[in-house]
Amino acid sequence: MTFDPVNSSALEIAAAVRERRTSARAVTEKLLARIEATQGRINAFTAITSGRALTEADTIDATVARGRDPGPLAGAPYAVKNIFDLAGVVTVAGSKINRDNPPATSDATAVSRLQAAGAVCLGALNMGEYAYDFTNENCHDGAVHNPRDLTRSAGGSSGGSAAAVAAGLVAVALGTDTNGSIRVPSSFSGIWGLKPTYGRLSRAGCFPFVASLDHIGPFARSVADLAAAYDVMQGPDPRDAACTLRPPNLAMSELNRDLAGVRIAVLGGYFENVGEPAVHAAVSNVAAALGASRRVELPAVECARAAAYVITAAEAGQLHLERLKTRAADFDPPIRDRLLAGALTPAASYLQAQRFRTWWRGQVQTIFQNVDVLLAPATPLTAPKLGQQSFLFAGREIPLRPNIGIFTQPITFLGLPVVAAPVQTAGALPAAVQLIGAPWSESILLRVARALEQAGVCTAPVASLAL
Amino acid sequence: MPIINYPAVIAEVTACCEAYELALVANDVAALEFFFWDSPLAIRFGTSEQLYGARAISAFRQNRVINFHNRRVLRFDLLALGSDTAVAMLEYEVEVAAGTRQGRQTQVWFRFPGIGWRITSAHVSLPLAIADPAFTQALASAKALGLEIAPDHRAGTLTNLARNAAITAPLLAFPLPDEIEPAPIFTP
Repeated sequence: MTFDPVNSSALEIAAAVRERRTSARAVTEKLLARIEATQGRINAFTAITSGRALTEADTIDATVARGRDPGPLAGAPYAVKNIFDLAGVVTVAGSKINRDNPPATSDATAVSRLQAAGAVCLGALNMGEYAYDFTNENCHDGAVHNPRDLTRSAGGSSGGSAAAVAAGLVAVALGTDTNGSIRVPSSFSGIWGLKPTYGRLSRAGCFPFVASLDHIGPFARSVADLAAAYDVMQGPDPRDAACTLRPPNLAMSELNRDLAGVRIAVLGGYFENVGEPAVHAAVSNVAAALGASRRVELPAVECARAAAYVITAAEAGQLHLERLKTRAADFDPPIRDRLLAGALTPAASYLQAQRFRTWWRGQVQTIFQNVDVLLAPATPLTAPKLGQQSFLFAGREIPLRPNIGIFTQPITFLGLPVVAAPVQTAGALPAAVQLIGAPWSESILLRVARALEQAGVCTAPVASLAL
Repeated sequence: MPIINYPAVIAEVTACCEAYELALVANDVAALEFFFWDSPLAIRFGTSEQLYGARAISAFRQNRVINFHNRRVLRFDLLALGSDTAVAMLEYEVEVAAGTRQGRQTQVWFRFPGIGWRITSAHVSLPLAIADPAFTQALASAKALGLEIAPDHRAGTLTNLARNAAITAPLLAFPLPDEIEPAPIFTP
């Protein structure tokens, strides 16, 4: 029987490649063909790096043939949001303006580390312009279509990353998350996502957005893949000033430990007062499976969300100020107007937000003395239609784009690690639950995720696409 | 003779409008007064003033300090209704202290027997977003950064400024202890 790489996890592919049940080249060719066949409908890719992929695959196969260790992700296919540097490819960051830049001369740190682990890079993925987006309706590259319902948004800004994983085009994808850009696409597209602690994974070689809040992280269809990709990307990096000097805390070896002693609670108040019933049902299902009956409330969450909003606007507006002066007409219009307004943020607002961050960290640290994992919805709604402008929220119709991140923004604001755990419902759209931990507790979150996966509560099958 | 847009009427009133525009750019008050109907029934609504009667219009013009040298007509439309009435509508752009400003101008022209074409009624306005004082302030702040916000981008920018302000309001009102410092990132 021929090996099926589409429905296999990265680790299953790596095992098959190592055991010569398939070759990295066969896996790569199969998925490149699948990408070509679905690109017109999903639009996840902006660059397909076939040459690089086949060269990397052949290197892996040659290593296996010599009896050497090809790495834990041998032959595993992945792709990256086009905000990551890939040597020889222009890092467009979803923009028109950056197309004028020369191709990257080297890989982003995260890409180098995946390559060193044996993974094979199939290309660069569509994203919302400059990552200031939650729906990935990119006016330059076109919208990403959600593989679970092609008329809907896959989420943003890492929409191509989530769609590529959900559609079985790659086993793992990299995204970035500043306000929710990994967790929102995980929720809309029904796949696993990991936004690690701020500073855990190097951002070097990624086009910046908001230095105070930018994170990178992986997407996958299995928790083990999420852990494997996360583990190989850890480690200090002098190229990213925010990257921690702590030693790596490997998650894979802990993954199957039981959850004895792990204290889990549901976030109440702000996180359950609004949103569609479906997203709260997802939280209830996860809480029930984990036996989590406690409720915890965080103080002044709306201020945390506001502070994330203003830090984002101010830092991004300043980062792009020169481009706004010289090339305003070349931006995606809604993103340009957000950046223009952001460039005019009063200093007092920005500094109040950064001071509030210090205060709120103290409050939340206290809460984590009595709990290890907090549960909350990732999004206030399931995937909206492409072009949708508003949704019903607390009984009122409100604009969609500025409100998709209400549950994710306060969490990134503190840099807390989060696993987005997808809950699938037959005949309905998926919704992800945030498993939120204390700083540096990714391995605990991944253990909880693994338990949910084994219990069948959270799953991420390849979307059924009529090919 | 067609009732709408009779060519001879269009030609005559277009010439009047062009002359009026030149007078406006030059701030030639005598010429501007000449084109307005000399009657207490003439009315002109400006962007911030309501002028009832030719005398009020004249007084306003005499006292106004303007610099319309870089005024540019973006679009001109003329609607002739019968042989003696026409409505002129134009969009314009002008440089003011806060940057480029767009506006709209509507004039009703009537041909008085023995006198000729005169403006009986006029209305000048700014697009809603730009008439907002918060926006004038924002344009001034942008200018201080060397940032020129193009006319097409202003309404969207204003929407976002208003949204940012609404979201930030509770944060700004939140009482923080004095010793709380901004979250640090820089490590020397």
